[in-house]
Amino acid sequence: MFLHILNYVFTEHTFGIIILLQGEKMMEDRIIFHIDANSAFLSWSAVNALQHGAPVDFREVPSIVGGNQATRHGIVLAKSIPAKKYGIQTGEPIIQARQKCPSLLVIPPEYYVYMRCNAAMCDIVKDFSDRIQVFSIDEVFVDYTGMEKILGDAQAVAHQIKDRIKNELGFTVSVGISSNKLLAKMASDLKKPDAVTTLYRDEIEEKMWVLPVRDLYMVGAATEKKLAKMGIYSIGDLANSEVEFLKDKLMSWGEVIWCFANGIEDSPVKPGGAIPYVKGVGNSCTIHFDVEDRETAHKVLLSLVETVGMRLRQGAFCAKLVQVSVKTSELKTYSHQRKFYVPTDCTNAIFEEACRLFDEVWKGEPIRHLGVRVSELCGNDFVQLSLLENNYEKQRQVDRAVDDIRIKFGSFSVFRAGFLHSRLSPLQGGIVEDFPAMTSIL
Amino acid sequence: MKVYMKPVKMVAWFTENGVPTPVRFQMKEDDKEFLTIKVGNISERKEEKLAGNRMLIYRCQSEIEGTEKVYELKYEIGTCKWYLYKI
Repeated sequence: MFLHILNYVFTEHTFGIIILLQGEKMMEDRIIFHIDANSAFLSWSAVNALQHGAPVDFREVPSIVGGNQATRHGIVLAKSIPAKKYGIQTGEPIIQARQKCPSLLVIPPEYYVYMRCNAAMCDIVKDFSDRIQVFSIDEVFVDYTGMEKILGDAQAVAHQIKDRIKNELGFTVSVGISSNKLLAKMASDLKKPDAVTTLYRDEIEEKMWVLPVRDLYMVGAATEKKLAKMGIYSIGDLANSEVEFLKDKLMSWGEVIWCFANGIEDSPVKPGGAIPYVKGVGNSCTIHFDVEDRETAHKVLLSLVETVGMRLRQGAFCAKLVQVSVKTSELKTYSHQRKFYVPTDCTNAIFEEACRLFDEVWKGEPIRHLGVRVSELCGNDFVQLSLLENNYEKQRQVDRAVDDIRIKFGSFSVFRAGFLHSRLSPLQGGIVEDFPAMTSIL
Repeated sequence: MKVYMKPVKMVAWFTENGVPTPVRFQMKEDDKEFLTIKVGNISERKEEKLAGNRMLIYRCQSEIEGTEKVYELKYEIGTCKWYLYKI
């Protein structure tokens, strides 16, 4: 399962695609595992509850992990297998899920339990290889290449990992084995739960090409629709299409998914989940009430920019472009963006621009969701100053001091007085701190 | 034994290596007075790490209100809490 958290770090689509030639056979000789926890949030909550004496196993009754409906984060984050039988889907509103199954058990998310489970899972995996990449909170890539000489056959070891996680930690995982990360990820999806599946290149025709194209990694609803118009319905159809034709229709994206359909992908397992290249930093939130006045909207923007600015400075970037997006209570979305004359990493500078953009674009309707994103990043070591711009040097010093205090004493140790007695959090985004940023790049 | 899982007050001794052994605990039923139980024979101790949360489990036997009973105590390492797990 691939779980999206609200904060994104937008990254360039550098997928490291190669056409496999004879000389690149080395990449083919790798052994990569993809370990994916089954119904992660739900089974982790269930095991934690059982350990603390819960009378029922949430996995055996119709149950979901869902956000808080009072703060309007009421969607299904994970579901049990019995809940699936009622047709409940991840991402749908809890109210809708309850209509499908009135006896549905709704469990609140416990992010610290999830972090702990992830850490425990990684600890076990580290006994088998030192090269592991935490890809998301419930997924880990392991480079087992070379370890077979010490620990033995890859499949047997995958079974050992799976069984140890099940016996020691109490939840099941699916393990996919292949020669690259993409195929390993596809393999772990083939059989669930509690299974080990191989998908080497000579098996893709039989195991992967028969699947609908939507099952391919990175093919979503929009791409599926476009491919259907071209008569491409299965992964096999896509793999056997002309790459030039796909490039013509879908630009470079066409080549990416064509390579994926043919199992071509060569990115290394990156310890620490390092992201190759950050393209932008964004943050958005659904507010727990409809915002109807400008002042409150500006406050929400400020709480978003506080986090964006901090992340920008942590990455030693300056941004040239800022974008504000608005979703109204009727779920209509629009956005507005503008370039800075001088790239900046100053919270106040980004905030002022975000407010200007918001004022220009907002038509006065009640707001449900606000987002701020900065992009066109450059290094923050030196920038070309402008005589016409405000000098934010003093502000940047304040930012640095505030960042230091927050790193040392916690995110909420210091915040702007404007948030006192407001119904808003002074910093939005970042449900869980100290976790590798989510990315779709393998 | 049934799952009971209620926190209890505990007196325990720890070895110099940090391994705890329960000695005496107090439990309280909803409307009753505190009941003090001296931990008798400890027949088994094991560790579990479910959901990554380390807990020590002790299978013990004591006289409780005139009858010998077997029960299990749990020590949650992360929170330093003791529970009467099963009785």
